Amino acid sequence: MAYKCSRCKRDVELDEYGGVRCPYCGHRVLLKERSRDVKEVAVE
Amino acid sequence: MPGEYDVEFVERGDREARFLVRGATPAFANGIRRAMVADVPTMAIDEVRFIENSSVMFDEQLALRLGLVPLTTPPEGEFVEDDVVTLSLDVSGPATAYSRDLVSGDALVTPAEENVPIIELKEGQRLEVEADARIERGQTHAKHQGGVAVGYRHLQRVEVVGDLEEFEDEESRIVRGVIEDEGELLNAEEFDNDLAKRYPGKEVRVEDVPDAFVFHVETDGSFTVEELVTRAADSIEARADELEEAVQL
Repeated sequence: MAYKCSRCKRDVELDEYGGVRCPYCGHRVLLKERSRDVKEVAVE
Repeated sequence: MPGEYDVEFVERGDREARFLVRGATPAFANGIRRAMVADVPTMAIDEVRFIENSSVMFDEQLALRLGLVPLTTPPEGEFVEDDVVTLSLDVSGPATAYSRDLVSGDALVTPAEENVPIIELKEGQRLEVEADARIERGQTHAKHQGGVAVGYRHLQRVEVVGDLEEFEDEESRIVRGVIEDEGELLNAEEFDNDLAKRYPGKEVRVEDVPDAFVFHVETDGSFTVEELVTRAADSIEARADELEEAVQL
């Protein structure tokens, strides 16, 4: 899963054991980035 | 069955016109109005693929805005249902994405209005989309309405019946639309919609002219007013033919 640390703005990879924490600065707030997929939307 | 229709233009422009039709029944006048609003197919964006959207607005909201951009609609028969025209848009901030930034894959289908703002993008934001436009009728969605302000009024005939009594208060007499004054058509805006200003000191009588309707038609730019009216009439004709065939079976 790709996240971004909200304090140091670096990309963060989370694994099962590390818990929710930035490995570079220890900040606990991570932001989920938008996926790169093309999103199809029907106009309604 | 009424005889021939007599049509006279009061104002005539590409997008907006006012014309008088004599010899039409109220039912027919309303039928043609409804056909203009809901039964003339126009092109509009129906599906949007978001390649990048780092703007502050949700994809769905932007898709709705793109759908409401009026597109020029090619002549009848050029496109049928389910034909698709692809348009693309790629704008990087700081800038505002306008409808004119939509690049069409078909020269017949382009934004009818150039200055429709879609979204304001700040530094580092980018919007890249691909959109599919389809032809549909106004019944399915308001974005497919070709006629955006279509209405009609009875033609009103104004007659001077006498003078006002001396010292009597002159009250304003408001009329709207087009009036017939001694056989001449006159837009009521020319005298500020107030008959008291046109006939000071006179007593006037206003009455509806039977079977005469003044249409005011405005299109969204998909096509000209003439095109809209003729296509609406064609659509009524096609459905009447269909009914006739079905009845004969």
